[in-house]
Amino acid sequence: MYRLLRSILPVLALGVLILPDGAHGQLREIVAKSVSASSSGASLELTFADERELEVSFENGSVSVDGESIGSYEPGSDLDAAWRALLGDAMGLENGPLADRLVAWEVPEDLAGEARATATTVDEALEEALQVSTASASATVQSRIMVSGSEDGTLAEALLRSVDRLGLLGEALEGLSTGDRLRIHVEEDVVVPEGSVVEGSMVVIEGMLTIEGEIRGDVVVVDGSVEILETGVVHGELRAADARILRNRGEIGGGIVDVLETERDLERELRDRIREEIRAEIRSDLRNEIRNVTRMDHDDDFSIMAPFRPVIRGVGGVLEKLILVFVLAVVGAGFLAFAGENMETISETARRSPGRAAMVGVAGSFLLLPVWILGAVALAISIVGIPVAIAWLPLFPLAAGLAALLGYLAVAQNTGEWLARTDFPWTGWIERSNPVYTMVAGLIGLLLAFIAGHVISIAPFLDFLAGLLFAVGIIVTIVAVQIGFGAVLLTRGGRRPEYRGAYDTYDTDVAWEAAMQADMDVNVDDGLGADADPGNDG
Amino acid sequence: MRIAILAATAALWTIPVTGEAQSWRTVTMSRQLGDHDDLRVTVEYGAGVFSVRSTDEGLLYRMNLKYDEDRFEPVADLAGDRLRLGIESVGRGIDIDSREAGELDLELARGVPMDLDLKFGAVEADLDLGGLALRDLDLSTGASESRVDVSEPNPVRMETATFEVGAADFTVRNLGNLNADRIQIDAGVGALTVGLEGRWQRDARLGIDMGLGSLELRVPEGLGVRLRKDSFLTSLDSEGLIKRGDVYESPDFDDADHRVVIDLDAAFGSVSVVWIN
Repeated sequence: MYRLLRSILPVLALGVLILPDGAHGQLREIVAKSVSASSSGASLELTFADERELEVSFENGSVSVDGESIGSYEPGSDLDAAWRALLGDAMGLENGPLADRLVAWEVPEDLAGEARATATTVDEALEEALQVSTASASATVQSRIMVSGSEDGTLAEALLRSVDRLGLLGEALEGLSTGDRLRIHVEEDVVVPEGSVVEGSMVVIEGMLTIEGEIRGDVVVVDGSVEILETGVVHGELRAADARILRNRGEIGGGIVDVLETERDLERELRDRIREEIRAEIRSDLRNEIRNVTRMDHDDDFSIMAPFRPVIRGVGGVLEKLILVFVLAVVGAGFLAFAGENMETISETARRSPGRAAMVGVAGSFLLLPVWILGAVALAISIVGIPVAIAWLPLFPLAAGLAALLGYLAVAQNTGEWLARTDFPWTGWIERSNPVYTMVAGLIGLLLAFIAGHVISIAPFLDFLAGLLFAVGIIVTIVAVQIGFGAVLLTRGGRRPEYRGAYDTYDTDVAWEAAMQADMDVNVDDGLGADADPGNDG
Repeated sequence: MRIAILAATAALWTIPVTGEAQSWRTVTMSRQLGDHDDLRVTVEYGAGVFSVRSTDEGLLYRMNLKYDEDRFEPVADLAGDRLRLGIESVGRGIDIDSREAGELDLELARGVPMDLDLKFGAVEADLDLGGLALRDLDLSTGASESRVDVSEPNPVRMETATFEVGAADFTVRNLGNLNADRIQIDAGVGALTVGLEGRWQRDARLGIDMGLGSLELRVPEGLGVRLRKDSFLTSLDSEGLIKRGDVYESPDFDDADHRVVIDLDAAFGSVSVVWIN
C-alpha cells in the first residue's frame, strides 16, 4: 500500500495543479427542495437527482452544512439578512433557476472576519454541491496524468479520507497499462459527454462516472458507480472494485473485470466450509438426541414406554385421588373427634337447606377478599389494632380455608349417608352408624367423577369423555364447597345447633308424632273432638 | 400560488423582527415531477387553514406550511409510489389557547394518476380537486368548515369517492366532475351541502348517511335524479321531484343523459332539494 501511496501521491499533487484546465462544471439537477424559516433561523435542504443531499442551516446562531457546524452568525446581522434574502428567492424557484440562483450567490462585500469566513464556506458548499465536473473532449490534456477531486483545496483531504480504499485501488490498478494518459477523479461525479473522446484511461474513486462519449483506454471505478449509456464506448477494460455498473447498451471493448471476484470466491468457499461444519454439528447433536430418546430419558418424545404412559398416568391419577380421600378422611376424623357436635350441626344444615347454604357460600366467597382487606385496614388505623392486624392477615385466610374444608367434609358426610341408604351393590360396606365410614364413602362419592376420568383416560381415544368427567368433578367440588362453606357461615361454625331446625322442611315422622299427641290431648281434656286445637296442648 | 410564496417570502423577512416570542415556522417544500404513473398520496393535517389545488408547473407537489415548530414537524416523504405530506405531532400536545392558526397550502401535480387520501381535523379547508387525475378519493375530516370543489373534470375514471365528515359545515360542489361510479358521504353532525353540478360522464350512485343536521342537495336541471330515503324524524322538501312508490324521481329521470341514484339514510334533520340552472 505504501508503494502505491508513494507512486500515486506525487501524481495527484501534479494533478491538483493542472485540474482547472482539464474540467469545467455543469449544475446538478435539483429534484426536491425545502426552504424553512422561523424566528430561530432559516434552512435550506436540497435533494439532487443522484440522491445526494445538501442541508445548509442557520439556526440559533450556528451555521451548519450537512449537520456539521462550520461557524456562527448573529441573528439579524448582515450575514443572516443575506442568507434570508437568498432563501426568500429560493422559495419561488425550482430546479435550474434555483441552482443558478444558489451558485450565483456571492459573499456580501461588507462582511468581514468570522462572518466572511462562514459565508465563504457556505458559498463553497453550495457550489460544490451544485456543480458536476465534466470531462471535456475539447480540453487539451497537457499532462499524461491528471487528477481532480471534489474541490481543489481539499483534494489532499479527500485522498486521506480514501486511504482505506487504497488497498482496493491497488488491486484495481494491478496490471493496468498506464502508458497513455491517465485521469484520476476522487470523490466527484464525472460525465463524459456524448461526442467527446477521452484519450487514455480513467480512474474514479468514490464517485459516479457517466459515459456518453468515448474513452480510449481502461476505466477503473473504486467504491462508486459507472453508467455507460447507449452512445458510450470504452475501448479498454472496465474494472470495478466494490462498484456498481449500469450498462445501458453501451460498448465495452475489453470486457468487465470484477476486481473483487477472487475475494468473493474465497469468501464463498469459506462460507461453504462454515455451513458444512454447522451441518455436521447439527447432525451430531441430532444423533445424540435420538440416542437419548431411545434410552427413555425423554417423556415428550417417542420411547418404548410410550404405549404404557396412559396406563401409568391413569393409575397414578386414581392413586392420587385415593390418597386425597385418605388425607381428608383423617382430617375429618379429627373434626369428628374434637368438634363432632359442630360437624353434625353443619352437615344437618347443609342437608336441610342446601340451596340457602349454597347462596350464602357464594356470597361469602365473594366477600372474603373485601372483608379481609377492610378488616386489615380498620385494624391498622388504630394503634391498638396493629398487633391484631398482624395476626389478622395470615389467620383470616387460614380460617376461611378451614371453614371451607369443614363444610366440604360435612357435605361429604351427608353424601356418604345418602350412599349408605341407596341399594347400590358396592355400598354395602358403609356403616351408617359409623360417621368415619360415611365420610370416607362421601369423599369417594364426591371425587368419583375424577376417579372415573382417570380410569377412562387409560383407554385410547376416550380423552374427550375423560375431560368431561373431570369437568363434572370440578363442578361437584365447587358446589360441595359452596354448600359446606355456606352451612359453616349459617351455623357460625356449627355453634348454633338451633339453627339447623330453623329451615326444616316437612318431616312426616315429626308430623305423625305431633298428630298422635294432639289426639291424646283431645281425649284427656273435654272431648270436644273436632274443635280441639292441637296448638293449645301446652 | 404566487400569493402563497409572496406571503412566505414576506414571513421570511418579517419573522426575525416580529416573531421574537413565536415558535411559528414557515416552510416551502417541493419536488420535481418524475416518472410517476401510479401514486398513493396521503395528506394529514391537524388544525389550521388547509387548501389543496392542482399545479402544472412540472412539480409533483409544492407545499407551503406554517406550523408551530415546538409541536409539529412537516412531512414530505416519497417512498416508491407512496407520497406522504402534511404535518405530524412531535408529542407535546396541542395548545388550545393559541389564537394563531397554522396553514397548509398544497399543490399537487395535475394529470398524474393518484389515489388521494386526505385526513384533516379541526380546520378551515378549501379544496379544489379540479385537474387532479384521481383514481380513488378518501376524504375524512373532523370538526371543520370545509369546502370541496371539483372545478374541472377528473381525466381518469374513479371507482369510489368517500367523504367522511364528523361535526362539520361541509360543502362539496361539482361532484359530476369527479368521474366516479360511486360516491359515499358519511356525515355526523352539521350542515351538509352537496352539489351535483359538473360534467357527469356516466350514471352514478350517491350514498349519503347523515346523523343529525341539515342536507341541501343542489341538483342541476337535466340531470336524472332518483332519491331513495330511509330516515327517522327527518323532513324532506322534495320540490321538483315526483314520488313514485318508495322513491322520488326527477320528471325526466328516464330520459336523462346521465342518472344519479341517491340513497339517503338520515336521522333527526332536514333534507331539501334545490334545483340550479
